[in-house]
Amino acid sequence: MSESSVAAGIGADAVAASPPPAPPMVQASNVSKAFGDVVAVSDVSFSVGSGVTALLGPNGAGKSTLFRMLCGLTPATSGSVRVLGRETRTDRDIRGRIGLVPQQESVFDRLDALAFVVLAARTHGVTDPVDTARRFLREVELDPDDGRPVTAYSKGMRQRVKLAAALVNNPSVLILDEPLNGLDPVQRRRMIELFHQLADEGRCLLVSSHVLDEVARMGSEVLVIAQGRLVARGDYRDLRDLMDDRPHRVRVVSDHPRRLAAALVADGLVNSVALSGDSLVIDTDDIDRFGRAVAPLASGLGARLDALAPLDDDLESVFRYLVERR
Amino acid sequence: MSATSKNHVGAGTAIAVIYRLLLGQLLTTGRAIGLGLFGAVLAVVAWAVERSESSDAMLELAARRESAAILLALLGLGAVVPIVTLAFSGGALGDLRDDQTLVYLWLRPMDRWPIVVGAVLAGITVSIPFATLPVVVAAAVLNVGSQMVVAALLTSLVGVVAYAAVFVLLGLVVRNSIVWGLAYVIVWEGVAATFGNLPARLSIRGYTTSILSDQTSVDLEFADLAQSSAFAVLALITVAAVVLATRRLRRIEVP
Repeated sequence: MSESSVAAGIGADAVAASPPPAPPMVQASNVSKAFGDVVAVSDVSFSVGSGVTALLGPNGAGKSTLFRMLCGLTPATSGSVRVLGRETRTDRDIRGRIGLVPQQESVFDRLDALAFVVLAARTHGVTDPVDTARRFLREVELDPDDGRPVTAYSKGMRQRVKLAAALVNNPSVLILDEPLNGLDPVQRRRMIELFHQLADEGRCLLVSSHVLDEVARMGSEVLVIAQGRLVARGDYRDLRDLMDDRPHRVRVVSDHPRRLAAALVADGLVNSVALSGDSLVIDTDDIDRFGRAVAPLASGLGARLDALAPLDDDLESVFRYLVERR
Repeated sequence: MSATSKNHVGAGTAIAVIYRLLLGQLLTTGRAIGLGLFGAVLAVVAWAVERSESSDAMLELAARRESAAILLALLGLGAVVPIVTLAFSGGALGDLRDDQTLVYLWLRPMDRWPIVVGAVLAGITVSIPFATLPVVVAAAVLNVGSQMVVAALLTSLVGVVAYAAVFVLLGLVVRNSIVWGLAYVIVWEGVAATFGNLPARLSIRGYTTSILSDQTSVDLEFADLAQSSAFAVLALITVAAVVLATRRLRRIEVP
């Protein structure tokens, strides 16, 4: 494994105490993909089994390219990918056990939702394509008798049509590329419930997202990808802890910035302080302690605190930290 | 939540599904109007030629047959048939690749050749009314006998079939297949192939006009191949294009 693990509970002891692990449903081994001089995915290895696994990363991190390789849509430049132990690029039959919701919005522009999902069912050899398509459209809360072309649908509705099409073949592995894009909060919650229901049936769901809160609600195993590299993996809660434990940068505005800066350093609450006008930019390893101490400290100095603003409390900064840490 | 699906989709089913899908996708109103008008130009030119020649009482039937065959070879087999077929077949799979919908056919438990065959058949089906019909109507309007009409029907049909296969392949190989296809039709078949037998033998038009020449007994330039050989070569081109397109589809980077 080339990625660093953020999970405390996936060490060797935990594995030894468990029953023999089931063979992975999706496996990537040292996979890289380059487009000319641009390396989109670099030496990524992981394996996942049944359940929901989130692929988390900023836009342009290589998530879609990795998914395309898993589905066989593009060959890996090096390394190998296996789904259910088989090579998706060349194995015809394995494609019948995969469901994909691609990121692109394009759909056949003359088909309504029912025709689109029926087409998916027919091209998967489903025995009762029309009934199956109707059932899965209802499953994603769409009207099978809505005769409008799918191109006239909202983005969220189109996402659900694509999801229905991905489900018609009863896939063992579902690869969902940003499937919650365009959905309203209620639809997101229902889709996440559906993902869990599918996972409970023993399927493997790989779901990409660049939104941490979505991943949190999936409550799943997380693979973190940044700049084409797998930088961390583990349980979502461990990632959350990592966000809290890493060094933080905060801007502090005060009427006595120099006095406050000196006290913060003297008390060992910060690693470094930079002064700029009436504000300080501080770096600290212990954001909780800093948060608890700064107000009483300022009060004791007779300094007023006008603002406290985190400068890196976003996912991008976590990705940056993970990349730099490797 | 379950559905029953087979391990893979049979070739017949795959061809039928792709064929039906692409018929609907290819036959847009814009294409129908544009290509319908394009084909109508041929019929109008044929009508004008027929009017001018019928007013000349001295012109013999043989001369009228010759000018009719030249007109059909030049504008019918040289322009309407390839350009109409290019407009439809170039986009059959090429458009799906360009608009990123190819993934919905590619990631399926189907062999690749039925996808290509379905696309070629769809291209042929929508091209026939817009390519073959104007050529046949033009041959009838020229009023030089039923043999010319039969020859027009036959040559335009085999032309559509061969071009459809080649342009489906082209659509998978290059982006902007219309531009590359037009370059082939206009620059190679329209200009280079008129400079000698060798370039004519490297163009589909060289074989369709050979069949037209044999069928009508009119000598056409660089069209001296026996029609049996011309049919065989066109069949070979069609099969080779399908094989290459299948191979290309297997290896394509699906967006």
